[in-house]
Amino acid sequence: MNTNRRTPLDVEAVRADFPVLHQEVRPGVPLIYLDNAATTQKPLAVVDTMSDYYRLYNANVHRGIHKLSEAATDAYEAARARIAEFINAASHREIIYTRNTSESINLVAMTWGRANVGSGDVILSTEMEHHSNLVPWQILAEEKGAELRYVPVRDDGLLDVAAFDAMLDGRVKLVAVTQMSNVLGTINPVADMAAKAHAAGALILVDAAQSVPHMPVDVRAIDADFFAFSGHKMVGPTGIGILYGKRELLEAMPPYMYGGDMIKRVTFEGAEWNDLPWKFEAGTPSIAEAIGLGAAVDYLTETGMENIHAHEQALIDYAAERLVEVPGVRVFGPEDVTQRGGVASFSLDGMHPHDIAQILDHEGVAVRAGHHCAMPLHQRLSVVATTRASFYLYNSFSEVDRLIEALYKAKEVFTF
Amino acid sequence: MDRQAQIEFLLDHYENPRHYGVLADPSLAQSGMNPGCGDVVTLYLQLDEDERIVEVSFEGQGCTISQAGASLLTELLTGLTLDEAAALDGETLAGQLGRDIVRNRTACATLGLNTLRVAAEKWRAGEALTDTSDIVRF
Repeated sequence: MNTNRRTPLDVEAVRADFPVLHQEVRPGVPLIYLDNAATTQKPLAVVDTMSDYYRLYNANVHRGIHKLSEAATDAYEAARARIAEFINAASHREIIYTRNTSESINLVAMTWGRANVGSGDVILSTEMEHHSNLVPWQILAEEKGAELRYVPVRDDGLLDVAAFDAMLDGRVKLVAVTQMSNVLGTINPVADMAAKAHAAGALILVDAAQSVPHMPVDVRAIDADFFAFSGHKMVGPTGIGILYGKRELLEAMPPYMYGGDMIKRVTFEGAEWNDLPWKFEAGTPSIAEAIGLGAAVDYLTETGMENIHAHEQALIDYAAERLVEVPGVRVFGPEDVTQRGGVASFSLDGMHPHDIAQILDHEGVAVRAGHHCAMPLHQRLSVVATTRASFYLYNSFSEVDRLIEALYKAKEVFTF
Repeated sequence: MDRQAQIEFLLDHYENPRHYGVLADPSLAQSGMNPGCGDVVTLYLQLDEDERIVEVSFEGQGCTISQAGASLLTELLTGLTLDEAAALDGETLAGQLGRDIVRNRTACATLGLNTLRVAAEKWRAGEALTDTSDIVRF
């Protein structure tokens, strides 16, 4: 069935790095983890790196003049530098540690947004955005009397680029777009969109939560003004995210949170802000998590992002083929797998996504059912909820087979 | 009840919902919805002078748990006063639906019950209560 499928990855070797995958959900039923768009599993290297920090050199970072603090600071800042390299940022000063993608986007909305978007301005979003790249702009638009417009999604799951071109007028201050949809899997042409946005006098913020983990990215090739992603979706820990911003933009922006570390000098009269990137990092950061994200980036780099991308393309190609063979299944998103990442949201006639997910869970298959934090998109698709399977480097073709078997099982249970 | 029997029990309520339909002249009617998944339940209650539920029916659409849960709820309601009905809790439901189900899919399992409670509150507040297009979102 799947013997002619090729991948550059040695999936068994990869899986050996992830202890959590080797378990049964109930006796005789192995775990098949297909909920990677929600969060990803961590290799032992990341787990060990974080526990090493706590076991061997835990200390607060910056300004400690003792051995542990220097070690902690070195590891924390070295991780930042490697993350900068991973996305080809020009400087570590353009890499800000946040809690997650949502916080990164809120930071831009509350600082750059408040200072630069005014009454009568337009923010361009799309119909396929995750709530985290949507609600902050709704709030900003309301606050400032600006207008929020949505670039439509076509019936084939691709962004309507012609509509984007038409909507990009002189009033647009910001384009906020996902590089890869967490529901449709659609990969958007963000480099083209950035060039067009800049030509129209607008900036572009890219929600990279689903793209950075799954394909090679280059923020300078895209020419992104802001770029946001989360550690936990890229085999890193929860509680750490990144905001990349072009240096000149970050320099001009007011801080987001105020307090310790983001200052250079404080008197009773006032404060002077610290240099980038620390201007945007108030208080003691998530040190272990930042170091853990560094280890995650190392792991992904060693595996090779092109290899991971190719593996997922092979998986989604196989999965889409097998899914549409199941009577009553409809897969959302582009048919051309080169236009999509390893996310497959689908519906099954006559079965509610919660019920599908429940039966699949019993068969060991972990998927997600609901609106996936994209309710407007589901409104556009005229469905209330979908079931979503999402793949990563440690998933195999036989796991796709198990997903399909479990779907047939679900149909059996629900046939009256 | 073993798992297979549990599934069959729930599917029976899903396929053959008890007290399904609209009441001609209800004392209260209320719709409730889980926006995250689109499950909807509309409850109709007929009360006597002592606020005892003498007739109940429901309509709805959505996942098995929400609809079977509503069906089971209607079986529990007849003969209860409105206060007694509003005081029904998750434990009672869990006994009927299965503890695991209620724990893992609380929103689905309690949709009917939550809708009932909203209806009871409105009744207490003296609000007119038969516009089922006024859907409460949980």
